[in-house]
Amino acid sequence: MAKGYRQAPGKSGDKKRTDGKRVAGQQDFGVPGSGGSNPHSNLQDLDYVPESVGGWKKQPRGPHVHDRHITGMTIGKSVPLVDSNWKVTGQAEYGDDIRLQGELIGKILRSPHHYAKIRSIDVSAAEAMEGVFAVATGQDSVNKFGVLPVTKDEHAMAQDKVRHVGDLVACVCAIDEATAIEAMNAIIVDYEVLPSIHDMEDGLKDSEHPIHDRGKYHIGESNVQKRVFQQFGDLDGMKSAPFVHESDWETAGLHHGFTEPHAVVAHWDPAGRLTVWTPQQVPHYLHRGLSAVLDIPMHQINVHRTFVGGGFGGKSDPFPHEMCAAILARKSGRPVRINFDREEVYWINRGRHPSRIQMGVFADDEGRIAGIETDALIDGGAFASFGHVTTYYNGVLHTAPYEIGAFNYTGARVWTNKPASGAMRGHGAVNSRCAVEVGIDAVSEQMNVDPMTFRLANLLPPHSRTITGFRVTSTGMRECLAKVREQSGWDEKFRNLPLGKGIGVGCGFFISGSGLPIHWDPENFPHATVHLQCDMDGGVTVHTGAADIGQGSDTAVAQAVSEVLALPLDMIRIRSKESDTAPVDLGSYSSRVTFMNCNAAIKAACELRDKVMKAAWEITGYNPDVLVLGDRRIYYKHDPAVGVSWLEAVHKAQADVGSLIASGAYRTPPMGGVHKGAAAGLAPAYSFSAYVAEVDVDVETGFVKITKAWAAHDCGKALNPLAVKGQIIGSCHMGMGQVLSEEMKYGRDGHLMNPDLLDYKIMSVHEMPDVVPIIVESNDPEGPFGAKEAGEGPLLPILPAVCNAIYDAIGIRINELPVTPDRLHKRIEKHCRKIKVDDPLDLPVPRFEPGPLQQVLVERAEAHAKRDHLRDIQEDRSSYVNGVLFGFDPDKPMAEQKEGWREAVVPTPQDLADPSKRAARAWGHVERRHRGDE
Amino acid sequence: MLPSAGKETWNASVNEEQHEHLVESNAILLDVLRDQVGTLGVKRGCDMGTCGCCAVLIDGEPRLSCLCLAKEAQGTQIVTVEGLADGHHLHPIQQCFAEAGGSQCGFCTPGFLIVSAALLDENPEPSRDEIKCAIEGNLCRCTGYQQIVDAVEMAASMKRNGAIPPNPTDPKSDPHPLGPDDPSLPPGSSK
Repeated sequence: MAKGYRQAPGKSGDKKRTDGKRVAGQQDFGVPGSGGSNPHSNLQDLDYVPESVGGWKKQPRGPHVHDRHITGMTIGKSVPLVDSNWKVTGQAEYGDDIRLQGELIGKILRSPHHYAKIRSIDVSAAEAMEGVFAVATGQDSVNKFGVLPVTKDEHAMAQDKVRHVGDLVACVCAIDEATAIEAMNAIIVDYEVLPSIHDMEDGLKDSEHPIHDRGKYHIGESNVQKRVFQQFGDLDGMKSAPFVHESDWETAGLHHGFTEPHAVVAHWDPAGRLTVWTPQQVPHYLHRGLSAVLDIPMHQINVHRTFVGGGFGGKSDPFPHEMCAAILARKSGRPVRINFDREEVYWINRGRHPSRIQMGVFADDEGRIAGIETDALIDGGAFASFGHVTTYYNGVLHTAPYEIGAFNYTGARVWTNKPASGAMRGHGAVNSRCAVEVGIDAVSEQMNVDPMTFRLANLLPPHSRTITGFRVTSTGMRECLAKVREQSGWDEKFRNLPLGKGIGVGCGFFISGSGLPIHWDPENFPHATVHLQCDMDGGVTVHTGAADIGQGSDTAVAQAVSEVLALPLDMIRIRSKESDTAPVDLGSYSSRVTFMNCNAAIKAACELRDKVMKAAWEITGYNPDVLVLGDRRIYYKHDPAVGVSWLEAVHKAQADVGSLIASGAYRTPPMGGVHKGAAAGLAPAYSFSAYVAEVDVDVETGFVKITKAWAAHDCGKALNPLAVKGQIIGSCHMGMGQVLSEEMKYGRDGHLMNPDLLDYKIMSVHEMPDVVPIIVESNDPEGPFGAKEAGEGPLLPILPAVCNAIYDAIGIRINELPVTPDRLHKRIEKHCRKIKVDDPLDLPVPRFEPGPLQQVLVERAEAHAKRDHLRDIQEDRSSYVNGVLFGFDPDKPMAEQKEGWREAVVPTPQDLADPSKRAARAWGHVERRHRGDE
Repeated sequence: MLPSAGKETWNASVNEEQHEHLVESNAILLDVLRDQVGTLGVKRGCDMGTCGCCAVLIDGEPRLSCLCLAKEAQGTQIVTVEGLADGHHLHPIQQCFAEAGGSQCGFCTPGFLIVSAALLDENPEPSRDEIKCAIEGNLCRCTGYQQIVDAVEMAASMKRNGAIPPNPTDPKSDPHPLGPDDPSLPPGSSK
């Protein structure tokens, strides 16, 4: 029974009331907006309220700045995704489910050639066909676009050349699909075939027909799209280190394999505004792209994100087919829907780069990592996409979690005549991380130390800086390692299992949001903005542009608002789909959404809360300092019976100020170094993870089965443990696919052989082992309630954990992914010949005998654990930069303390002297604009 | 225009509703369901029977509608994901997919729901291995299957116990509540 309002407003004696109670004897009326299922305010759930604010939730790493916003409502509790009822009833509308009155079906004519000049296109037959409403070619859209403003190299349709099989040439829209296909086939294109490039090493050479022409910025006459050089630290010390493991990796290209093929609907309304419905991870960059391509201002466009049937990075570029739909709809005057078949999904690609990585891991005689040397050549395919960033990430993301003596990275990305590579879960860091972790396993073996111990004795502490200047705040790496070690039974199993059975460990490190937005204009533009609106019904509408792609960003932001305002989740509704109503959020990439969007949401919710608390103050007479925001009710701290309902306070606030809205924004703090490329890999926080995997290897066939995995991920704080576990297990699934079976196979003539889900082998339920997800909470000081990312980082460690487990099982170091039976079988045969064993069943298995360093490292790890704890709880606030382990003073420039300390981003000729380094060859070219200097 | 294969009348019951449409004689069931019947919950993932997103029940048997001619389903009883719920009460399998995290992006979910619902009709107490066998033809890229298997297990027990998922149209939270049951207690001390 809800309490109502008094009969005679204005005669209520408001002024005299100081105890929050009503004046007795007056008749109550129903309160507009009231009524519902639970007429009593629930008590605070103290299990979820931290100790620092009087709750029972233990805080081993000390208090958090958001503790005082915790009301015990939803944060830390497993809640279903707020949109799950749409999904389970089939009512969630994905791209191809948008059906407008009078829609036409669009089809795209694609190139049959890897690389060709277009001499002419004849569309007259197609245009003349009955039922065809419009045909468009490259001439209809000459403006360039691309997700990164520095590397715009795409067009809606080919201008003068096609650059890969499947490149867009023309598009048609017709009354139905059959007519559209017929019309598409009636378009006559005259091609002049050009010599195509398929091997990434050929991309390093000068070419007669470079795939793109970047004018004065073009690197020689080559197909090098981006090259990176970074050299930090004591290179001489690294080179003279006694323990070295060098490896040469070849990893196949990958596709995201999301289940929903791309689809888009475009419609120009009678007022001349364009609405585009599309499953996009990054609607805002599409918004910009459409504006540029169509030559209309952004306010004339409404980008409507539909439900997204899986993204994983594969739906984060503005796509040419989205432009085509808009162009066709403009020409035809009717709504146009384009949906891809599965093959087309592979032509647009943007998956993980095929790469060749040379990795050197160096360790000194004190068991420290003297350096990591990486040369990564990555195959970008025909377009730049996110590749500029990928090229950096292949190197810079292994400057942590370990303290290293030196970092030497050369990276290059080349254009080839393949579908473009781009961003995919674990962007750029996955392949090279695998190489680093396998290298670490190998040098531990050389030193006769347990790889767990070696890792534990070389971790960067919390609140430190990496060798290239990344600011590490919270880290739960140590706890992750400790937990997987204990739960997997590592100490009993490592190097003790019989032939064919193995156990391995790997670690990961990933950004939680990229420090700089992709578009740097204007520089102080916020990364995320959230608007809240509360009306007389008492519910709160959240307007956010964050793109829920299934990871649960709508749920996370709803939780954040619900927590601060102490409202049940059913009183929060999310409007995140349309750019017309949503403030800008940069999108779902680089694991930024929870961190940035929830921070913005907390700010907005606090603003709203303060307004409502002020009203409650006026009603109750108690200052907000002594008022508690409880479940839908604000009450006096020392007498919970005295208080007002949420709705009553909201009505009062509205009566006072007229409208009850609030907004919050998030931008990253200033951070990072000043060298070229310092911003790549920079993030307001980093996630850490450590996995142990167990495998069964059939030595006679080379078949590998992962039998179990223990996956510990430091997500800062699990806002929704159910979703975090889902992300961890899902990441494992994707990573296991990459390590064992997934690859984009290109035939001898460069043709993609498996553009379908039958031959592109995603793990089925039978291959998927049990994964034990372990959540580690390091309580990030800047994360929302302490949270960091959980969507991408958890993928990284599974690859090296499996590779190291295979070594443990059969003594063979993996350096080629995926580890398919045919590949591993060849390796086993070769290995048998090398060590002169006739029967693979007689292969010797690696064993472990602790060397003298083991005890030294155990003691160092113990000392570091204490050091880290003091830094965690901020008892020790001294500065710490990478290098302290090597005896450097963190408060003085490194270069002053060590002769030969390098910090360079431009190579000298000596740096490039080693002819075996592949990516380094990219530096053999001179940019066209600098040729005059020679 | 493509030479038409000739149109035929197609009848079937879809989610207990009789449908009659004029369809091409070579029409694929998936296309008919999506474009003519309007059950857009049946998803198109691959068109070649690899992903399982388009699964529907035909006379109680789970079938991939992308590999099925509409003709083959002539006169049958078809159930799509839209037909699982009882009014607003979700089917236990739907409720549990939501609660156990069995659905992330949700695109594969209709297919998983259909094959799991068929499993539970046949086997009220499936083991984890039996569940895995039932869903082996379905691909999920988000969840790694573990929470899907959890969801099916949960749903099996829910169904056995005869529990009915809540009606989401029931009144939601009251924004104007009274104090805690015993207002004299300080918040939280009831534990």
